[in-house]
Amino acid sequence: MPTFKLNGQDIPFEPGDTIMRAAWRAGIEIPHYCWHPGLSVAANCRMCLVHITSGRQMAMPTLKWDEKKKAYVPDTKPKLTPACQQAAGEGMEVTSVGEEVENAQAHVQEFLLLNHPVDCPICDQAGECKLQDYYEEHQHTAKRKQTEPVHKPKGVTFGPTIVYDAERCIMCTRCIRVCDELVGDHVLDMRERGNKNEIVLAPGRELDHRYTLMTEHVCPVGALTSQDFRFKARVWFLKSVEGVCTGCSTGCNSHVDFDPRIGKVYRLRPRDNEDVNKFWMCDDGMMTYTEVHEGRLKTPVDGRGEGAERLLPEEAVDLVAAKLGAVDAKKLAIVLSAGMSNEDNWVLARFAEKLGAGRLYLAAREAEDVGWEGDDILRSSDPNPNRAGATLAAKSVELHDLEDLAQDVLAGEVSAVLALGHHGGEREGALDALGSLDTVVVLASNEGPLSAVASVQVPVASWAESFGSFVNGQGLFQTFTRAIPSPDGVETAWKTLVQVAAALGHDLGYVRTGEVRDELTQSATAEAAAEPTATA
Amino acid sequence: MSKKVTKLLQKEFGDKILLATDFRGDAEVTVAPKHWVEVATFLRDHEKSAMDHFTDVTAVDYPEREMEGGARFDVLLLCRSMQHNHRMRLRTELADGKKLASLTPVWSGANWAEREVYDMFGIEFEGHKDLRRILMYDEFEGWPLRKDYPIDRVQPLVEYRDVDSTLKLPPFGIEEGQPFARIDWEERLAGRDEQVSPSIGLQLGQRRALSDSKVAEDQAAELAQKKAADAAETPES
Amino acid sequence: MEAPDEIFEDEDEALEIPADPMRLNMGPSHPAMHGTIRMVLDLDGETVMNVDVQPGYLHRGFEKSCERGTWAQVFPYADRLNYVSPMLNNVGFSLAVEKLLGIEVPDRGQYYRVILGELARICDHFTSNGAGAMELGAFTPFLWLLKVRDWVWDILERETGARMTHSFGRIGGMAFPPTDGFADDVRAIIPEIHKVVGEAEGLLLKNRIFLDRMQGVGILSKERAVALGCSGPVLRSTGVAYDVRKDHPYMVYDRFDFEVPVGEDGDNWDRFMVRMEEIRQSIRIIEQALDQMPTDGPVSVTDSRIMLPEKREVYTTIEATIAHFKLVMEGLKCPKGAVYSFTEGGNGELGFYIVSDGSGTPYRVRVRPPCWYNLQAVREMLIGDMIADIIPTFGSINMIGGECDR
Repeated sequence: MPTFKLNGQDIPFEPGDTIMRAAWRAGIEIPHYCWHPGLSVAANCRMCLVHITSGRQMAMPTLKWDEKKKAYVPDTKPKLTPACQQAAGEGMEVTSVGEEVENAQAHVQEFLLLNHPVDCPICDQAGECKLQDYYEEHQHTAKRKQTEPVHKPKGVTFGPTIVYDAERCIMCTRCIRVCDELVGDHVLDMRERGNKNEIVLAPGRELDHRYTLMTEHVCPVGALTSQDFRFKARVWFLKSVEGVCTGCSTGCNSHVDFDPRIGKVYRLRPRDNEDVNKFWMCDDGMMTYTEVHEGRLKTPVDGRGEGAERLLPEEAVDLVAAKLGAVDAKKLAIVLSAGMSNEDNWVLARFAEKLGAGRLYLAAREAEDVGWEGDDILRSSDPNPNRAGATLAAKSVELHDLEDLAQDVLAGEVSAVLALGHHGGEREGALDALGSLDTVVVLASNEGPLSAVASVQVPVASWAESFGSFVNGQGLFQTFTRAIPSPDGVETAWKTLVQVAAALGHDLGYVRTGEVRDELTQSATAEAAAEPTATA
Repeated sequence: MSKKVTKLLQKEFGDKILLATDFRGDAEVTVAPKHWVEVATFLRDHEKSAMDHFTDVTAVDYPEREMEGGARFDVLLLCRSMQHNHRMRLRTELADGKKLASLTPVWSGANWAEREVYDMFGIEFEGHKDLRRILMYDEFEGWPLRKDYPIDRVQPLVEYRDVDSTLKLPPFGIEEGQPFARIDWEERLAGRDEQVSPSIGLQLGQRRALSDSKVAEDQAAELAQKKAADAAETPES
Repeated sequence: MEAPDEIFEDEDEALEIPADPMRLNMGPSHPAMHGTIRMVLDLDGETVMNVDVQPGYLHRGFEKSCERGTWAQVFPYADRLNYVSPMLNNVGFSLAVEKLLGIEVPDRGQYYRVILGELARICDHFTSNGAGAMELGAFTPFLWLLKVRDWVWDILERETGARMTHSFGRIGGMAFPPTDGFADDVRAIIPEIHKVVGEAEGLLLKNRIFLDRMQGVGILSKERAVALGCSGPVLRSTGVAYDVRKDHPYMVYDRFDFEVPVGEDGDNWDRFMVRMEEIRQSIRIIEQALDQMPTDGPVSVTDSRIMLPEKREVYTTIEATIAHFKLVMEGLKCPKGAVYSFTEGGNGELGFYIVSDGSGTPYRVRVRPPCWYNLQAVREMLIGDMIADIIPTFGSINMIGGECDR
């Protein structure tokens, strides 16, 4: 691979790479606002100016203040090049430090702050704002401008999700490029010029495509803010763990931002993954964090409707064990979930084997039932994060869908149900048949169609409250990390199942997440080795 | 100034000096734990270093270094020379659970410093005669200055302590004897109650507990001798 | 075996009947154990045969607390180390971080720090000597000394806004420049200090009771003091002329002409007298510093990455807002590394060993409290003395709980 020198360090690059991209790949940050690895080059912020010291030098005539003569005297300075636009060349020598470059950075930064409002205390970007970071790193001088700043529109509603503040905007055009290049919907553009320019909507339009939150995500400053996250939390109080989006089977990688002091998840942010989601997530995916707190099941419930009774967590395990112990395993339906982690599904399938229950079903959301539409950008047509993982857990046993379950119940072949998760059965009346059964045990983190017909509901940890993994539509195995603690007494589904099994006298032998995961990955690898074409 | 001492150490110990730094003018030398006392003693005794003034012993916890396969703790000794007015910082990397030889025979001042390091980090010092918790109470659970000790951890309530079983009492022991006399001021002011530190050197004028059994024994022996001498004299006269 | 009557035929010898050693617990809530120290004593009659000094009752987790805030948030904690002379701790900590950053405060700030610090030292010695005398029954010197200490505190209050815990130091300078009347105020207080020191000495130095209880009591030898890591007046009283200001001059101390008083015997009397003399030397330093101090110019560095910008700027310009935000929310970023910086505190060498991992939060702040090592030496001072000698001896090392236990 060819290399060039950046500050004396060899940086490899692929032909066609710019200096910026090669440095970015090598993990070196050249300060920038407008450049984004997932977008085209705009080269309008001028923050990434570097000095190319090899080759022919272009010098610009300038004036320099001479302290002795008390006058400006002619001088020259090297012409700097934007690193984001300049293609790297073999043997090129580039410096991104030194007086000239640092001067340029300081002055670009000073220009950007020229008309910036004093908004940090009320700005949601404060704490993760590039203007702040680069001020500290590259400018750190006081304001010189004495006149009133230019005022522009503030708090402009761009659509249902985004609010725009023109005064904070540095016109990097990242948001415009996201709409153009990622979505292909030219809904944003820039108008006017100089210090009057601002981002505007296309006439008669709203910012309402499926990736509007990406405009906020790429905004390096606080110009675009999300209606949802706005004024909810200050980012320096948030901590972040790695998550996987549960919106669809793409399994976009995310950062789960939560407040550790109160155990609340506030937002998701896309996590770069070249193989899955690149740098992006869709709006629906970004909002999946809400299910961590909305419609949450917190206490076990015995019975339906009026006669329902709340239980203590330890009573729930005994009750489930008693109920399952009383039914005929042949007539017990085990429902795996396409919305729960591999670990939960795996342990449930193993528990079914121990019980001798051979009827396995899969609860999954159907796209048309939940109003989901796929596209060719990120959204897959299957709105379940882990259909592949549940299928994997069932090993060779065929999984029937919930329609089959309803029919089997009506046919009298199923007299009891042990179900996992809150996905599935969204179609009107799909699960009515289950309402008549005495034993419908549902282990779920949230309310859903299954828990609505359950005779016993047992709350379990949601994805934000557990360590786990999903297998996405491509067959990629992706893990996620626990962000917040579960409510008191609530365990992950697989741990609850291990307890139930123990109460029934079966030792499933799992204690830690790692053990479950090792076993299922080994099984999956063995399977893949057996039939190499099935998964890759 | 203390670069001289760094050079002296490098000359004397060669490869045993793992690292010598001079960040912001603070001379620091890293040695392996097994050479800890050896280098410290050299620092104190060599005429060109003569670090007689004990300054501090402390530790720093680097749990991430342990994950990368390194040793978890930095233990640091700071000392200074009265004569040459220079300083040195001796550093060693100590794995969790490993013991470090105590510096108390070299400088008496290390006593409390090592007790504090033990109290705060759980690092044990071999050869320290009185390694009790010093700032915390005995029932305290955990090592507070380790990074994995959360600052808001609530400690269990301590049960009411009976005076007899008071753990924070010093290790005086019942058998530690009954002293025979009050202070002999003449002896003390003449500096004759010197004692030789068992391992290293002479520590001038160190006073020990008079209730210490050895002193009591010595005095008893002395008394017995005197009585024997008296008894021997009596028949003659 | 000889018959008992033969052993004790001499009456004097009979007085030496071995008594059971008595275990006596003193403190931590004993009025003389100021700063909540506990001493477990083994007594033979009234003689202290062994003593176990137990600190820790004022432990508040200073070093742990420092590891979770920003560098600047250490100042209020540092105030509460030696709370009798908080300005010295403030300056000591500032100097440590400045050493790590590799910056130096402008001259005017250095002189300002010196003057405020020496005033704090005077207060420290006033308190120590006044309280020490009071515990021996001499209440008047205590009141006189503290009266003048209060006047010094008036100056400190005018300068810093607080009488005791000022939190006035800043990394890179001081919170505010000196007030207009600062030099005049300080010059006005100097004769008062001289006067009260003379008066207190007049009351005490020829007092038989005071002399008996101070002279020859609580002796510490030179060699032991050095080996035990003592510093400050405790070390100097043994005859070792070690003063950080003289031996490792920091700030502008090398520009002043002052002497380091030393004692001879290392007893309570010497410690008392060394402190009295140090008050006079501090005044000499203050007088010279006032003469040399520039009348205008900044007292702090102006780099916005280190010092907070002015409030007026913060409210009106985005640059200052960002600087303020970064310094307050993320804290000042120190380069990665560790330094040990030491100054002459009220009780001796006050050291800060600070470790930075490059973030805005200290990785480790170790305070080397002079009291800690001075207190360690108390055991050797006390053994062989009478139980009543504990009070002047313990008083004379000026153990400050906040600093010792942290």
